[in-house]
Amino acid sequence: MTQATVQSKARLSSGSVAGKAKKPLSDGKRSERKLGWLLCLPAAVVMVVVTIYPIVYSVMLSLQRYDLRFPDKKGFVGFANYATVLTNSFWWRAFAVTMVITVVSVVFELVLGMTLAMVMHRTVIGKGFVRTLALIPYGIVTVAAAYGWQYAWTPNTGYLAQLPLWSGSAPLTHQASSLAIIILAEIWKTTPFMALLLMAGLAIVPEELQKAAAMDGASPWQRFTKVTLPLMKPAILVALLFRVLDAVRVYDNIYVLTNGANGTSSLSITTYHNLISGLNLGIGSTMSVLMFITVALIAFIFIKVFGTAAPGSENTGRR
Amino acid sequence: MRPHNHRGRLRTSLAVGAAAIMASTLVTACGSGSTGTPTINLYNAPQQNLAAMVANCNKAANGKYQIKLNTLPRTADQQREQLVRRLAAGDSGLDILGLDVTWTAELAEAGWIREWTGADRAEAEKGTLAAPLKTAQWDGKLYAAPYNTNVQLLWYRADLLPKPADTWAGLQKQAEQLAAANKPHYVEAQGAQYEGLTVWFNSLVASAGGSVLDSSGTKVSMGQPSVKAMQTLRDFANSKAADPSLTNTQEDPARLQLEGGFAAAEVNWPYVYPAMQANTAVKFKKDFKWAPYPGIDGPGKSPLGGSNFAISKYSAHPAEAFDAALCLRSPANQKIAATKDGLPPTIESVYHDDTPLDATKKAGPDNPSMATAYPMRDAILSALKTAAPRPVTPTYQNVSTVIQAALSPPGSIDPAATETYLHDQVDNALQSKGVLP
Amino acid sequence: MAVVTTRQKASWSVANTIVALYALIPVLWILSLSLKDKSTFTDGHFIPRGWTFQNFIDIFQVGGFTRPLLNSIGIAVIATFIAIVIGTFAAYAIARLEFPGKRLMLGASLLIAMFPQVSLVTPMFQVERSIGLFNTWPGLILPYITFTLPLTIYTLSSFLREIPWELEKAAKMDGATPFQAFRQVIVPLAMPGVVTTAILAFIQCWNDFVFAISLTSTTSARTAPAAIAFFTGASQFEDPTGSIAAAAIVITIPIIIFVLIFQRRIVSGLTSGAVKG
Repeated sequence: MTQATVQSKARLSSGSVAGKAKKPLSDGKRSERKLGWLLCLPAAVVMVVVTIYPIVYSVMLSLQRYDLRFPDKKGFVGFANYATVLTNSFWWRAFAVTMVITVVSVVFELVLGMTLAMVMHRTVIGKGFVRTLALIPYGIVTVAAAYGWQYAWTPNTGYLAQLPLWSGSAPLTHQASSLAIIILAEIWKTTPFMALLLMAGLAIVPEELQKAAAMDGASPWQRFTKVTLPLMKPAILVALLFRVLDAVRVYDNIYVLTNGANGTSSLSITTYHNLISGLNLGIGSTMSVLMFITVALIAFIFIKVFGTAAPGSENTGRR
Repeated sequence: MRPHNHRGRLRTSLAVGAAAIMASTLVTACGSGSTGTPTINLYNAPQQNLAAMVANCNKAANGKYQIKLNTLPRTADQQREQLVRRLAAGDSGLDILGLDVTWTAELAEAGWIREWTGADRAEAEKGTLAAPLKTAQWDGKLYAAPYNTNVQLLWYRADLLPKPADTWAGLQKQAEQLAAANKPHYVEAQGAQYEGLTVWFNSLVASAGGSVLDSSGTKVSMGQPSVKAMQTLRDFANSKAADPSLTNTQEDPARLQLEGGFAAAEVNWPYVYPAMQANTAVKFKKDFKWAPYPGIDGPGKSPLGGSNFAISKYSAHPAEAFDAALCLRSPANQKIAATKDGLPPTIESVYHDDTPLDATKKAGPDNPSMATAYPMRDAILSALKTAAPRPVTPTYQNVSTVIQAALSPPGSIDPAATETYLHDQVDNALQSKGVLP
Repeated sequence: MAVVTTRQKASWSVANTIVALYALIPVLWILSLSLKDKSTFTDGHFIPRGWTFQNFIDIFQVGGFTRPLLNSIGIAVIATFIAIVIGTFAAYAIARLEFPGKRLMLGASLLIAMFPQVSLVTPMFQVERSIGLFNTWPGLILPYITFTLPLTIYTLSSFLREIPWELEKAAKMDGATPFQAFRQVIVPLAMPGVVTTAILAFIQCWNDFVFAISLTSTTSARTAPAAIAFFTGASQFEDPTGSIAAAAIVITIPIIIFVLIFQRRIVSGLTSGAVKG
């Protein structure tokens, strides 16, 4: 690097970023670009190789009849697989199940997460203790926790199945109760994550504003809804975006709790069944592509309609 | 009992760990030992005394090969998933595969298992019962050696049901009488949404004189016999005979309900007999009897199960693998599987063999013979003559899944409508347009 | 909030207790199952009546859990390490440099963070089986790197923005090249952020299930969560409840240790990377 680079960097860090107008690039600018690209290259290559290429490959597979059990009958079928999947009741049931799980669990997580965030943020005693405990559900392996829930709800074995409220029935064999248990497992595991994201939002609400509102005679609830919530809106939207997209791909909990029996298959479970159990690469890939489109659509709606700031999307970063 | 060879595992671990980055090395490490004796990897469902049988064959092989037993997961779906995933990946670490009778067509059509020919084929067919042999064939060729077969029977308590009816409707009536007398009256059956429901339905269709697929296995047959089967299924589910947890009942819960004294009868595989003998808490043990599987207008056609040994296409030592598979299913080893693990033999002569396992000593509980451990052998043999095999098609997995989904819960089947719907679904499944739930 | 009244203390204690019960009951239940004697699994009691460590001994001695555990550790550590190294480069560029394509980089990694993993299973399975990566460590390390990279880049770049860059300037004034300045001044300052990010990335790899069950077939690469799902009972008809519970506890231990030691870091990592107003 030349002396010019150092100078340009010096200018940059003192805040005088060159204007956006098209000027001939200085040597410094050019080498900064080069360095930027160079540093991003490894990450970009890995991401392209592991995701972009498979996406393209999925799209190609989705246009073929390709069943590993009938290797001789492989061939191009256009959009026939899409027609098959989109007219199939199992697919739409999985879609509905996924949406129910997503909406219900995210709503509960938002409310509980907000409460937990308040406790973690404001508690006057044992702050570290509470935060440490709350991290346990976040960190625990989903499958491990899911087995805990499964046994808890198994008649005879489990302490929850023993409760007189539903004694005698096997909750994991009916659609509604199974879904409720899946949602419970999801909520338990991810509420702390939601709470942490929301806590970051709480931290940016200035204490003085709260005090001022209190002086003006606002009740704690009014202070929460009129002062805290509006200021937290960006944080809430980001937390929602993260969790919704995460919930849409729900897999681990369902795999352990029901493996999709009794109408509890999510999109991920259905896709997996068709691909790995059914060995039907054509149909499986079609589902993959459709799931990807669903996720992209949700992200698009959040960012364009609700104006969620995609994290890190600001140009120069926070300084 | 799981097999475990600590030194072998450690050695493989080290080899694999060191070469973790080198996929090719890894496959070799799994495929064969470093010594001159080829390792034949057997993949089978958990079976308690299989390790002893493997040891017998290793001794008989006398250094020609060494069989290594690998135990598959416990549910049939997981077993299949493991096998097909490795076969699809062209893994040479598999030699002998213990296949459920319903997987033959799928694996053969995909080209993942070898055809049995010549002397091996003759040996595998010699004295083998017709029904199990058929489950090992596909497209007129033999793709596996039948290892054990299985048929369901009606198991009942003679103290409650001195003469059990031979039809489902008859059993329902008897259950009503027992219920009226305040006695245990459930007839346990496998009504949960899993393979067992397909097994039940398929047997009902056969008992009604039909079949799910036509004889070519490429077209849906179903029709009126299916409607009748669905009616029987629905009526039973809504009758006094049905356990309230029918929609949650698989084989083992059915057995436990009867052993626990909550049921008067059950349809189940013969493993329930040794289990009953081993249960010390049961008071009605001497009244535990068996009868032919119930039907619709008369005695029914039993569901047919079992497992067969196939040789992987990717096996590096096919000749040794065929040899080892034949040893594992030899009459002597089938007798161990039957008397110790309750698995019905596929070789007819084993049924009539009254020599105890240890021929030098007298037969008894510790030294079982077919006569002491298998009193129901004649019932099994005659059930095998009429047993209903499940649909033979490479897409069996899909066919069975849509059947289970369409018939669950059995109590809310609408026979005519369900038949039309299922007909469509099975048809789609056959054309691999079928979407799995 | 100058004085904390007894009343406040009491009400916050109640709130804290509720959080503690919330977080701990499900975990203690698994622990209880793992310590139950075989004959008492079906008694449904929350506190075991018959205590035993046999389940833990079993999974290692006969259950073959050692190998999957080593796979899990090895794969997660290697994937985390590589993700941190290449993620740090990218995060530095994003936090510090101006270059076209920066937004694209961020957008693409956000997309990948949100990507349904199952969508990748088909193509990954096909590709890996054709190039021999199926059922190997690299076969899992590769997707793990990819899925931890977005988190790594976001968390690290926000940490890097907090670093006093005047020091870097000073180093450059002293004649250091940008790379030297990066390596000798910034790296030590960024270390706490890197450690935090590494923990988060490790937890993510440790937790993965979808790739672990679809891209492996034997214990040569199968990780612990997948191995748990494939446990067999002692006999054909026995449900391996005790083994599953014991193994679930074993894979939870590292998480508990991390949480106990690094609570502050994990919280700051999660709250800084994700949300900016």
